[in-house]
Amino acid sequence: MGLGGYTGKILRIDLSRDTVRVDALPREWIHQFIGGDGFAAKILYEEVPGGTDPLSPANKLILATGPITGTLWPMSGRTVFVSKGAQTGIWAESHVGGFIGPELRYAGYDVLVVEGKSEKPVYVFIEDDHVELVDASHLWGLTTSEATMKIQEEQRDPDIQVAAIGLAGERLVKFAALIVNHARAAGRTGMGAVLGSKNVKAIAIRGHGGISVANHEEFVALAKRAQERVRVNPQAKEMGKWGTWILTAVKQEIGELPTYNHRTGVFSGWEQLSGDHIRPRYTVSDRACFGCSLGCKKVNYIPDGPYAGTLEEGPEYEGLMAFGSVLGIDDYPTTLKANQICNKYGMDIISAGTTIGFAIEAFEQGVLTEEDTGGLKLQWNDRDLAIRLLEMIGRREGFGDILAEGSREAARRIGRGAEKYAMHVKGLEISGQDGRTHRSIALSHATGARGADHLRSLVTVDQLGYEKVAAQRWGSDKLPEIINPYTEKYKATAVVETENTYCIRDTLIVCWYSVSWPPIFWMNDFAEVLPIATGVEEFGSVERLTEIAERQVTLKRLFNAREGISRKDDQLPERFLKEPMPEGPGKGQVVHLDPMLDDYYRLRGWDLKTGLPTKDTIRRLSLQWAT
Amino acid sequence: MVTLQKQLSVDYTKCTGCRLCELACSAKHEGVFQPSLARLRIVKYDDLGLDIPNVCGPCEEAPCVDICPVYAMRRDPVTKMVYLEEDKCILCKACVGVCTAGVIRLDTVAMRIIKCDHCGGDPECVKICPTGAITYGTPAQTAVVERHGKLKAYVAEIHRNAMKE
Ligand code: SF4
Ligand code: SF4
Ligand code: SF4
Ligand code: SF4
Repeated sequence: MGLGGYTGKILRIDLSRDTVRVDALPREWIHQFIGGDGFAAKILYEEVPGGTDPLSPANKLILATGPITGTLWPMSGRTVFVSKGAQTGIWAESHVGGFIGPELRYAGYDVLVVEGKSEKPVYVFIEDDHVELVDASHLWGLTTSEATMKIQEEQRDPDIQVAAIGLAGERLVKFAALIVNHARAAGRTGMGAVLGSKNVKAIAIRGHGGISVANHEEFVALAKRAQERVRVNPQAKEMGKWGTWILTAVKQEIGELPTYNHRTGVFSGWEQLSGDHIRPRYTVSDRACFGCSLGCKKVNYIPDGPYAGTLEEGPEYEGLMAFGSVLGIDDYPTTLKANQICNKYGMDIISAGTTIGFAIEAFEQGVLTEEDTGGLKLQWNDRDLAIRLLEMIGRREGFGDILAEGSREAARRIGRGAEKYAMHVKGLEISGQDGRTHRSIALSHATGARGADHLRSLVTVDQLGYEKVAAQRWGSDKLPEIINPYTEKYKATAVVETENTYCIRDTLIVCWYSVSWPPIFWMNDFAEVLPIATGVEEFGSVERLTEIAERQVTLKRLFNAREGISRKDDQLPERFLKEPMPEGPGKGQVVHLDPMLDDYYRLRGWDLKTGLPTKDTIRRLSLQWAT
Repeated sequence: MVTLQKQLSVDYTKCTGCRLCELACSAKHEGVFQPSLARLRIVKYDDLGLDIPNVCGPCEEAPCVDICPVYAMRRDPVTKMVYLEEDKCILCKACVGVCTAGVIRLDTVAMRIIKCDHCGGDPECVKICPTGAITYGTPAQTAVVERHGKLKAYVAEIHRNAMKE
């Protein structure tokens, strides 16, 4: 291969034929895409044709890494799973921390592609050159954690890294997740259902090799300085202490804490869901993903009450929101219990909680009745109900069966105007933000390639009022509007530039907590490290990296366009456009989406009417092959 | 001059399991990022949320020294540190199996035994560790007691709940 950082190999496993192939990583892909999301987009576009049923053997599950995955660079242990979305039917990706990405690289591969469908339940076992489909009938029905430990035990190696599905993946819950290291989830879009549809219980990887970069000495020196920057950063220190729980108070303060199915952004019980409340009472240990000196993961233990004895990592802020404020529940132990169930069954906590929120509101409004729910009375702030419904979803039992489809499909089946209460974009439930009081996220939610997403282009600079950073990145002429959360002006500029940077972040791949919040590393840092790691000089130019990012965004868009997505789908639930924020500092605010969409398409070089990439843009980004 | 008995000390309560120490060790000694060639190991218990660094020493008895048939493993009588004299080693691998911390390793490519040498007194793992879970110095008794605190708390809680049920 000759290039630093890469192993130069793609491992392909065809479950239908029971064959394994190792392809060379084409050099041209590196120049065009760098790695991670970029490689995966190239493969998915070329190999999963338009109209493919996501749960059919023709869909593929891709695990991709980047050129610095598994090195000393801060937080370089993250990985992305990509597929056509089980829940959404469009481009789907889910990033996860833990250790499995580095392990794939130590085994000698940059990318893993799993395709076809196994006749019988199996797990994929990869140990360096040895690749095997192992019978998994004895693992079927086990929790993700049990399956993981069983595999480590029978292969006699506790260092095997496993991504497993639980009952939810087996039963094709549309937002089923893959769980690694007991509690880290490739949560969103239903990767677990894709694996379940292929009859695969788990992907287990062990590697004994190493990663060499182009210039080892220089890379190590730079990586150590980068680690130091994380360590001394005051916000990173706070994150290390409180994890993402720190966000609860921030969101409450700006009136953006989704409450009662996103009706409002203010929650009276927020303090019970804040770091100040949780850490001293419940936290027993701090943990980290591979190569991370921040360590945002918290292991917690509930000493008393109905969930006494629960020992589990998390949940993240998003889980506090989904099983706390969204359901009107002011009780941390409930959210931890919910997180444990989501981890065991392998489910996305955001979609699960928000789908339950949908059902409660629809019930409250008389759209759902006890006849639909099998006698259950749905109401806010009902802890037992939330936990009970969650288990029913994981098992697809009773009323849980319809909720297991996610809010969009559940609303469609229920009819009677239930769609009004389904908080999703393109089938993916809205994450823990509110566009009415944080205008740029409205645009992110509407345009995100995988649906209502908080990870691909969320701007934190406006939300938190980082004036200096904003001036540096976007020019002081755009101040103060660009950091005013209540105006549409300049928001597309912020979203596009942020999305571009995150695209490169997702090719390396590094954690969002060193880039997005707190904003420690940005494009120029990537331009510094990439040439040293890979030896590819052109990666040293921010312009070139920006072009690669634009190519990635536009290619994902072309994938979605083939599935029928256009401007009409870049929408938000009516609530955000028509129901003014009822209270809090952003009282009265609504989203005006169209002007932001116009700006966004203009900056992306997409047609204003259709929202699709223009011929010129496609040519400029050398994507003619994808039309 | 007095030689201090410097050792690597471990405090599990601080370890986050980030494995930066494994990366830094292999980066320094092998010029690659390869945890399987690191001279220390982080043993992870994801189900309990525990991460336990395993390093060379301090061993009261050094089984690797006792078992080596050709005296390639030698123990410094003052520092108690065990060193490998590579040119004497006949690769019988007995030490690999007998090391209680599992940190004597076999490099299956170069076919050689690899073992911690405290980086000649300037341990790379200690410098990179973000939490102070590994330190280098004369061991204090208190640290040894404290490091069992987390485990003890876990076991007590699990016991308490088992009694309830
Ligand atoms: S900041 Fe948190 S999620 Fe990111 S790598 Fe570190 S521990 Fe993992
Ligand atoms: S492998 Fe080498 S050092 Fe280890 S016990 Fe055998 S001879 Fe001694
Ligand atoms: S002291 Fe040096 S050789 Fe020993 S484990 Fe630490 S980094 Fe490796
Ligand atoms: S670097 Fe420190 S905190 Fe990280 S795994 Fe090693 S001992 Fe634990």
